[in-house]
Amino acid sequence: MECVVQGIIETQHVEALEVLLQGLSGVPKERVRVHELCLKSGPNLGVVPSEVRLLCDLAQPTPSWTIRHVGGAMRGAGAEQISVLVRTIVESKASKNVLHYFYTLGYKLDHELLKIGFAFRFHRGAQITVTVTSTNKMPRLHATDEAVPVTPGIQLVEITAPAAADNYNDVVSAVSAFCEYLAPLLHLSKPGHSTGIVATAGAAAASLMSSGGGKTL
Amino acid sequence: MPPVKWLMHWHPSPGATINSQILSEACGCAESLGGSKDGKWKTSIFFYRAMTRDGSGGPAGQQHPDLPRELLGVALHERPGLYFSIVRAQRLVLQADAAFPQVMEKLQSYRIRVALNFEGFQYQLGDFCLRIGKCVPNNSEALRGIMMEVEYYPLSSIEKSKAVMEDFFDIWQETIGKKSLPGQFIHVDSNFSDYGLSDQYSFQHTAVQYATCLQQLMAAVTVRA
Repeated sequence: MECVVQGIIETQHVEALEVLLQGLSGVPKERVRVHELCLKSGPNLGVVPSEVRLLCDLAQPTPSWTIRHVGGAMRGAGAEQISVLVRTIVESKASKNVLHYFYTLGYKLDHELLKIGFAFRFHRGAQITVTVTSTNKMPRLHATDEAVPVTPGIQLVEITAPAAADNYNDVVSAVSAFCEYLAPLLHLSKPGHSTGIVATAGAAAASLMSSGGGKTL
Repeated sequence: MPPVKWLMHWHPSPGATINSQILSEACGCAESLGGSKDGKWKTSIFFYRAMTRDGSGGPAGQQHPDLPRELLGVALHERPGLYFSIVRAQRLVLQADAAFPQVMEKLQSYRIRVALNFEGFQYQLGDFCLRIGKCVPNNSEALRGIMMEVEYYPLSSIEKSKAVMEDFFDIWQETIGKKSLPGQFIHVDSNFSDYGLSDQYSFQHTAVQYATCLQQLMAAVTVRA
């Protein structure tokens, strides 16, 4: 299981967000460059249609592959009341022939994306990962070097934390508490419930850059 | 890099059946060669079958020629953190981690129909390690086959180790031949290059050898039946 919230931020304020995250986490940022391929089961395969994501980590000297299945969100009255989405995630590392493997099994490429940005991983009540990325699409199949932004000027911020059935309430609290720190710059909500950009982001960013960042605007 | 390994299976003489006495005689041979027993081992193989929306109960390949008839999952005893999936018809071996079966379970496109265990004792013999075991279905004691692994610690190159493995195999055949058992151990070459595997031995090589060994055991069962 994982707890997740998302938000968007204008690219011009990303540097300020980085300064804030650096200060809050105290860890160095990691480069993110992930080629994400979304595959769907072909007609007739499977009891129900299924979807699987293959992630190729291009930030490493040798690209590594991960198979990722994103399950349904937790439901019920309790889940409705919390501001964080709790969902099942199953991941497995895989050898580099994994795309060919899933094609052989009868899966088809639905779409592919290239996510470029950075991430902070730290412990703050839970093992929290904050990723700030621009989503890019490829003009030609797998042509990651030619990728262009899907939403120029806007970047996606995602906060995730692993959880288990017996502790997700604590993890939700930790993620919610952390979101408060970022509130001047962005709204974070459950995926699919985007609340847009924050009107005060410009002023907050300017303030951060003049004090925390040590840079003048 | 893991050391090189050969898998061999027991091929019964025409009309003969496989029984547990052969297994104990083989273990006796390992001990008579100076092998010291130092533990148990178990490798599991899972047969997956495609689930189709039209609910065809028969082999998927007959009604959906685009889907593989058979998908094997291999959990090796020496690497519990890894899991291998093999599509033999396409000569494809995927290396994943132990969470892979959970991914497959979530996808509901292929399901495990049969699980077989290869299990037995392990013997240390100088630079060699011998693992002699039986093949039995999960939750059953019905003997489906007998096989062995021979591992040679000093080398990882398949080519370079070929001579020493053949020499060992000859000594082994001579030793077990004295027991006058109705059959013999056979090593069937797996075509590693077809799977894109190199001369340097890896766990993927072992997974492919298990698939080959299983095919041989199944063929023997079919012939007897």
